[in-house]
Amino acid sequence: MTDLSKALTISASGMDAQTTRLRVIAENLANQDTTGSTPGSDPYRRKTISFATKMDNAIGVETVQVKQIGHDESDLPLRYDPANPAANAQGYVKLPNVNSFVEMMDMREAERSYNANLSVMQATRSMLNRTIEMLK
Amino acid sequence: MSALPSSIPTVVVTPSAAADAYAKVGRGESDPIGSSFGATLERAVAGAIQTGHEADGQSMQAIAGAGNITQVVTALTHAELVMQTATAVRDRVVQAYQDIMKMPI
Repeated sequence: MTDLSKALTISASGMDAQTTRLRVIAENLANQDTTGSTPGSDPYRRKTISFATKMDNAIGVETVQVKQIGHDESDLPLRYDPANPAANAQGYVKLPNVNSFVEMMDMREAERSYNANLSVMQATRSMLNRTIEMLK
Repeated sequence: MSALPSSIPTVVVTPSAAADAYAKVGRGESDPIGSSFGATLERAVAGAIQTGHEADGQSMQAIAGAGNITQVVTALTHAELVMQTATAVRDRVVQAYQDIMKMPI
């Protein structure tokens, strides 16, 4: 496998990682209003994602992979809403700790990172194609 | 000729060696150099076919909704590049053969 082919594989792993990141962001945004179902229960907690380097022994390069999908343990905001099924004895409901602005920014970042990997792929492809053109 | 460094292999074609080679071709025997080139080409084509099969498998999985789209893209790109290289080399070889055949004797 040539270095150019390896670059393709590495970029693909980067794109895969960003796809998972986008999935987590989608989950967070979709559940930003999800409260608990029993009185005083916890609502949806924001999910976090972290990445790690993965040594691809078959081709001897370092690719990227999703290390862990965790939960954001920050404080849950409270809202006074006695009619909600999740309201506690005092009438307060715990809301998810999802901030849509933070999620939107994360989404942009994932998109940019995905595009960067895609650009590397395109550049690699064009370099390989142009080299093969020389044979013709 | 003695000024050439020893690392460059030189091929000395004597009239008797040439006659010998012609006689071999006439008897239907193949030259060891020729057969090794054929084997190389065969391996290259086999590799191209193998890469094509892998790309096919990935594409079929993607159509069925099971595959990973980035894996399909990488597999197809590999297959495309290997195939392009194989055809480019083949075209070159055929062209060289035709050039030799057109040579006035």
